[in-house]
Amino acid sequence: MNTIPFRRLAAAGALSLVAAGGLTVLSASPAFAATSQVSVVHGIPGQPVDVYVNGERTLENFQPGDVAGPLSLEEGDYDIALTRPGEEVGQAILTVDDAAVPGDANISLVAHLSAQGEPTLTPFPNDVSKLDAGQARLIVRHTAAAPAVDVRAGGEPVFQDLTNPNEAKADLPAGSVSADVVLAGTDDVVLGPTDLNLREGTATIVYAVGSAETDTLDVVAQTIDGLHSSPGGVPSGSGGLADRGMTAPWYAVGAIGLLFLAVGARRLTTR
Amino acid sequence: MSIVTQGAPLRRALLLILTGMTLLAAFAVAACRSQPEPSFGGPTVTAIASSAPPAPAGPSVAVRKGALPSAGTDVEPARLDIPELRLRATVSAVGIDRGTGDFAVPPSVDRVGWYKFGPGFQATAGSIVIAGHVDSATQGKGAFFRLGSLEDGDRITLYDRNETAREFRVVARERYAKTKIPLNRYFARDGQVRLTLITCGGPFDARTGHYRDNVVVTAEPVAAR
Repeated sequence: MNTIPFRRLAAAGALSLVAAGGLTVLSASPAFAATSQVSVVHGIPGQPVDVYVNGERTLENFQPGDVAGPLSLEEGDYDIALTRPGEEVGQAILTVDDAAVPGDANISLVAHLSAQGEPTLTPFPNDVSKLDAGQARLIVRHTAAAPAVDVRAGGEPVFQDLTNPNEAKADLPAGSVSADVVLAGTDDVVLGPTDLNLREGTATIVYAVGSAETDTLDVVAQTIDGLHSSPGGVPSGSGGLADRGMTAPWYAVGAIGLLFLAVGARRLTTR
Repeated sequence: MSIVTQGAPLRRALLLILTGMTLLAAFAVAACRSQPEPSFGGPTVTAIASSAPPAPAGPSVAVRKGALPSAGTDVEPARLDIPELRLRATVSAVGIDRGTGDFAVPPSVDRVGWYKFGPGFQATAGSIVIAGHVDSATQGKGAFFRLGSLEDGDRITLYDRNETAREFRVVARERYAKTKIPLNRYFARDGQVRLTLITCGGPFDARTGHYRDNVVVTAEPVAAR
């Protein structure tokens, strides 16, 4: 099963999990140890792995196309290593030392091929901001050994010129869209078309993985739910029939009643 | 003072007094009726919303196939029965009004709307939300006209398309100004499973054509016997 020529990539500090400016802001005031949610995505075809975090085996026989987690990791630096299943951590096929995990973040750590076909690990910070009611978030990540692509929905390009290892995203009305991936600027379909079911209040993250050269292009999907918001309100009446409040006519009725009583009593007692 | 009036003037005076008393009595009845039904069960709702169902035990790190999400498997509620209100209403699956961002309550007032983005008929957690009109300016009284008169323990039965029933028991009835209603509690997708019925109520503003308040009834499942 060693179809992919792994190369040891043991560059200490070569990779920082702080991949976006937004995350550095989040981690700027670590008054207490904040935890982050870290998911692991396997996007390298043909090679199951064990995943070690700080020397401890965290995932066993992790299969290509699988998504693990989320792990709750406290803010800090981590050593991450991938080995062939059952092998010692010293014989890792891919390692990243001192990867910085910021606090209060949601991160996907993706094992994938670079544009040139080399195995690599890329951390993507996930946008887990709340969605408006009725909306869904679509995030597409180019993590395949393939050139720039366009992503089309219903035949129309929605994300253009996406390259490895980058993402594009949009908040869309929840529902199903037919999507495909074409070589940038062309109609050459490399993936799909497929029906994407975008659930309300959920971020659907689609990874393009594999290699165009070895004809192993595929998609891996990860979802993050709980991003929903409540409707703005529940307007459910326009007639006023259920308003049993005291309107002006009722007060008039009361006032006239009092007046009649007063006049009547007066007539009874005086001439 | 002594009663000195006699004959026709006496009868007129008595008639005035009688009419006055009748009018005052009508005023008093209206004033009593205008008192809103008191809320009950608020703390129960808070408790239900914040208690999580037991989490399934499993490996510390969940591993899933990274397959594309499948189409939703939610079962839609199809009908709502409330014997106390002699109500049997068709339930439509509805979402959000794109123009306003509000709950898209079915325009037809004899239908009620299930919030299709939230928990469904078979939910094991969270709030199944059904909203209906109390009334409409053009169609008159709505399905939920008397929702606010439901009492603690009243039964509500929800049916799916196959006539499978799920029974609930009223545990709370609350009224909130629309500007103050804690919608996140009623549209929660976590906490214990419950049925939440929402309509309008309170003072009506004829100028804007809106009620000031929302009436919310919360019901919890009756354990199958």
